[in-house]
Amino acid sequence: MAAGVVWVALKGHPLGVTRHHCSVGGPMGMLRAVCPHGPPWYPRVRYGTPWVPIPSPHRSLRFHPRSAPSHSAGAMVVLRAGLCPGLTEEMIQLLRANNIRTVVDFVSSDLEDVAQSCSLSYKALVAVRRVLLAQFSAFPTNGADLYEELKSSTAILPTGNPSLDQLLDAGLYTGEVTELAGAPGSGKTQVCLSIAASVSLGLRQHVFFLDSTGGFTASRLYQMLQARVEDKEEQLEALQRVQVVRMFDIYEMLRALHEVRDCLSQQVESSAGPLKAVLIDSVSAVLSPLLGGRQSEGLAIMMQLARELKTLAKEFSVAVVVTNQVTRDSSTGALKSALGRSWSFVPSTRVLLQGRAVPWEDGAAPHTACLAKSPRQPTGMQVQLDIGSDAVQEQRPVTPTP
Amino acid sequence: MQRDVGSLPLSPALRARLLAAGFQTAQELLETGPCGLSKEIGISREEALEALQVVRQECAGDAAKTAGGSGSTRKCTALELLEEEQTQGFIITFCSALDNILGGGVQLTKITEICGAPGVGKTQLCMQLAVDVQIPECFGGVAGEAVFIDTEGSFMVDRAADIATACVRHCQLIAEAHQEEDHLQALETFSLESILSHIYYFRCRDYIELLAQVYLLPDFLSEHSKVRLVVIDGIAFPFRHDFEDLSLRTRLLNGLAQQLIIIANDHKSAVVLTNQMTTRFGQNQSMLVPALGESWGHAATVRLIFHWDNTQRLATLYKSPSQKESTIPYNITLLEGSQEYQDVSRLTSKFTGNLCPFLLVPVLHSFCPSC
Repeated sequence: MAAGVVWVALKGHPLGVTRHHCSVGGPMGMLRAVCPHGPPWYPRVRYGTPWVPIPSPHRSLRFHPRSAPSHSAGAMVVLRAGLCPGLTEEMIQLLRANNIRTVVDFVSSDLEDVAQSCSLSYKALVAVRRVLLAQFSAFPTNGADLYEELKSSTAILPTGNPSLDQLLDAGLYTGEVTELAGAPGSGKTQVCLSIAASVSLGLRQHVFFLDSTGGFTASRLYQMLQARVEDKEEQLEALQRVQVVRMFDIYEMLRALHEVRDCLSQQVESSAGPLKAVLIDSVSAVLSPLLGGRQSEGLAIMMQLARELKTLAKEFSVAVVVTNQVTRDSSTGALKSALGRSWSFVPSTRVLLQGRAVPWEDGAAPHTACLAKSPRQPTGMQVQLDIGSDAVQEQRPVTPTP
Repeated sequence: MQRDVGSLPLSPALRARLLAAGFQTAQELLETGPCGLSKEIGISREEALEALQVVRQECAGDAAKTAGGSGSTRKCTALELLEEEQTQGFIITFCSALDNILGGGVQLTKITEICGAPGVGKTQLCMQLAVDVQIPECFGGVAGEAVFIDTEGSFMVDRAADIATACVRHCQLIAEAHQEEDHLQALETFSLESILSHIYYFRCRDYIELLAQVYLLPDFLSEHSKVRLVVIDGIAFPFRHDFEDLSLRTRLLNGLAQQLIIIANDHKSAVVLTNQMTTRFGQNQSMLVPALGESWGHAATVRLIFHWDNTQRLATLYKSPSQKESTIPYNITLLEGSQEYQDVSRLTSKFTGNLCPFLLVPVLHSFCPSC
């Protein structure tokens, strides 16, 4: 096992992007690191060579596993000259004449036939294929190293509600997508506001709130902050750490998420700051006009959104919380989350909130939260939530000091 | 910037072709240019130019957003929003208990839904609000105009005239009691004729007309920028019959909800909807729930349910982002036409609740302790 520290040497690159070279023991030892400011280069490691962790000289240098969005697995990348050494323009023209346009087409075709029909050398084709495979295929990593990375990058954020924390196994995990589903009036927006208050006040981290229903009320957030801490300065500072974006369309939501990612990857201190939580209320309001019927593009957009959320969570170690509606199961009549089966695979934790069914008839039945899906806790756990507990006693107009 | 092609607002056929041809980011599209694009994916040059225009707009929009753009996607901190909310007015309902549970009245930039059985007073409240939105600012109103979209035909002009007359008389009494300059000035323009002329009435007979009206409303509102209230009386009625495809109904309603929240947000107006009730059968009981299904319940930001308790009408705040759930009794009274009012505090305008002795200016931000 080639243990030990490997040094990273900085070298210039013709495209103006810094590329880091280092060598690992072994014949194909060209490990290229990923720099977030340019096109990602993938390490060419022969399968079987154990991966050695490299201490990165600064924080922005990370090894990106296959989750980078611009090269999805099964890369539908168009063959271009210079994509890899040995792929020339005339080669590409000949391949295109035979209907081979993308990397997938090239790699999955029978090279002997291609060599014959394009009148190219078989050896050259095999060499190009090997390079392309190494460049675009998935990158294996060691389980122990993954665990170490996870330990150092994951944080658990308290939600501000002790019973909900207990349900979620100590709180919201960064790097994961958590879903809160519930009928109208069951308390989803209140829980989101409580999370925003707790993260912004208790942990002093920035929070991004994407509002698509118009339910974000700053005065309610202020009430929650007032109930937690007495000092007015702290309350106002905590309010400033919550960024609110209002968007009512799926494309605007995708654009807003893309902006967040840009801010984070460039580490602009002024706007985003140390962002730890992204709350989206609600995801079903923008997606449900597109789903159903005979159009399948709604599913495509939904999966695009899912990919954006997961990339955001994983790459930048933020906790993503989304809220969803509920529908009735046609067979059993029980409540389940909306948006269908495809969406049910996206969040790793799902909590179902329930309020009172008919509030004007029964007595005060409390709000409950039930765990519907979790990678850590047994499903079916139910706790009682106390949503209105941090309301101030009487209404009074609040004015922040200038 | 490296926007994914799948996230750009292009038509699905075009998007499918682009992805099949191997384009992945917006940057690649812009680099290829219209000629190259039309050759690679086999579309005409005009279509390629149009697509590139859209892409360029999106990417330019991205750059502008970081500098703080305008419109509904404006980014702001919660502190700025708090300051905005505190200077925003409410539309009072002249029922102090109802105003109390709503937190001051019907809020601007939010959708409020009123559900109730027939005859419980939903249309009355809508008409009251259409008059109350026009109260001048010195009396504590928002001085706006109203759009009334009627699908059931329940808007009675003479009833609205009664309500307007009572409102004007109420304001006159207040002005007499306080004798301030701006009160008297405002009263000159606040009369029955002006109130009725600032209620824009639309009659929609089926769901297609309703959808068309709502989608055309932004243009109307940009011409009449003083509108602060949009009432849709009877949103359930056109959608409850003649609909075979329920999933189509859900999709149309969701699109309608998003359009209404865009209107509420962009034009800083309150949207008030009225809904009917339907019966849901549980295990061993049946109960009245608001119509149009579970998914419609998410459309409204604030939900009020009006119901009966023997002969007393009750209003319950069922869903609100900032107020607690509570129930209050209310009454609907007739206008005492020629009776003289000795005591201003005993004035009951149309929609009254507990007779509140402090129902005076300023009504909005000081909540009377007895209610």
